[in-house]
Amino acid sequence: MDIGKLKKYSDLAHDLSVTKRNSLEKMRSRQVMAYNGRLFKADAQTINTVSTLKAHAKQFYILDSNDNPCHIQDPNDFLSKLIARNQETLNTLSQLHDSLQRRK
Amino acid sequence: MDTGVLLYCFDTPTTQYHKLALKCIDLINKNLKLPITVVTDHETHRHFPQFAGTTYRLVKQNTTNYRFYRGHNIPWYNMERANAYEHSLYQTTLLLDCDYLTFTPNLLELCNSKSDFLLHNNVHDISGLNKIQTKLESTIPIVWATVVMFKKTERVKMIFDMIKNVQENYEHYRNLYRVKFKNYRNDYAFAIALHQLSGQVNHSNFIPSAMNMLPHEFDVLEVTDTSVVYKYKDKVNVVTDTDVHVLDKEFLNDR
Repeated sequence: MDIGKLKKYSDLAHDLSVTKRNSLEKMRSRQVMAYNGRLFKADAQTINTVSTLKAHAKQFYILDSNDNPCHIQDPNDFLSKLIARNQETLNTLSQLHDSLQRRK
Repeated sequence: MDTGVLLYCFDTPTTQYHKLALKCIDLINKNLKLPITVVTDHETHRHFPQFAGTTYRLVKQNTTNYRFYRGHNIPWYNMERANAYEHSLYQTTLLLDCDYLTFTPNLLELCNSKSDFLLHNNVHDISGLNKIQTKLESTIPIVWATVVMFKKTERVKMIFDMIKNVQENYEHYRNLYRVKFKNYRNDYAFAIALHQLSGQVNHSNFIPSAMNMLPHEFDVLEVTDTSVVYKYKDKVNVVTDTDVHVLDKEFLNDR
């Protein structure tokens, strides 16, 4: 294969990598949400923690992104908001991922 | 007023910052929908049309600071930011650089937090080349004064008073913390003030996401309502629907 074609492929791979990194960062920025006056990341870790605690208690305390405690009095409301925000961001990421696949 | 945005904008002999501020105001109106106060000087103010919801506060800036930009030292009027607490009309303020372009409503989440002072301590270089930070710039971790959410509390008043003290004695603090850069930088003034006021332990409340930045080596080709198109060497790329701090200012002037 000629070197020009390899360079072109390498350039495209670099662009796709940068675009993917930026898309993930965009997703993380959008996942920051305020609840009960505290800031949380609507990521898999927070969702799993809330889901686990909710299975064992009607109310509980959880640390926010800056390690401040937050009293969760309505776990169903909190969990549904976390999942809604998480899926909104992943839906956007998924659409972009599909468009990147088509560029390959 | 409850919540609003505070911008600082001073044209310099080399850069027409008002052009960037106009774009910034446009995006804030579209995506944050908050009232805006622009702190500026007489010379810069004459370029601003009257916007509904935008207030201007005229000050006389007389700083002689400079910054290194693309191989040259150029004038940089950045000293007024220490007065943000007094300049703000709002109970909750989003203090933004006028080169921070808000393409999303994400910053509104910060205003719903109980925290009275939030800013970024992490940065994401959207060029992918990690050109923003180098090692050993100071003995204190940097914070970014580009985006600051603050509320009018006694503690925040103390933070800004401390920032003023750092600014007035910057050479002393710069040596104390071994800051590599000789010019005055708000990022370090804020970091030092927070460190001093936190009993010289690390401050702990930050914006949980990284701040997106486009290094000054990258030429901005176009800023649309949703994106920034940029170029590095012969490569053109775009960042869409993402808040971004744009360091290239050349695109404001005639190339």
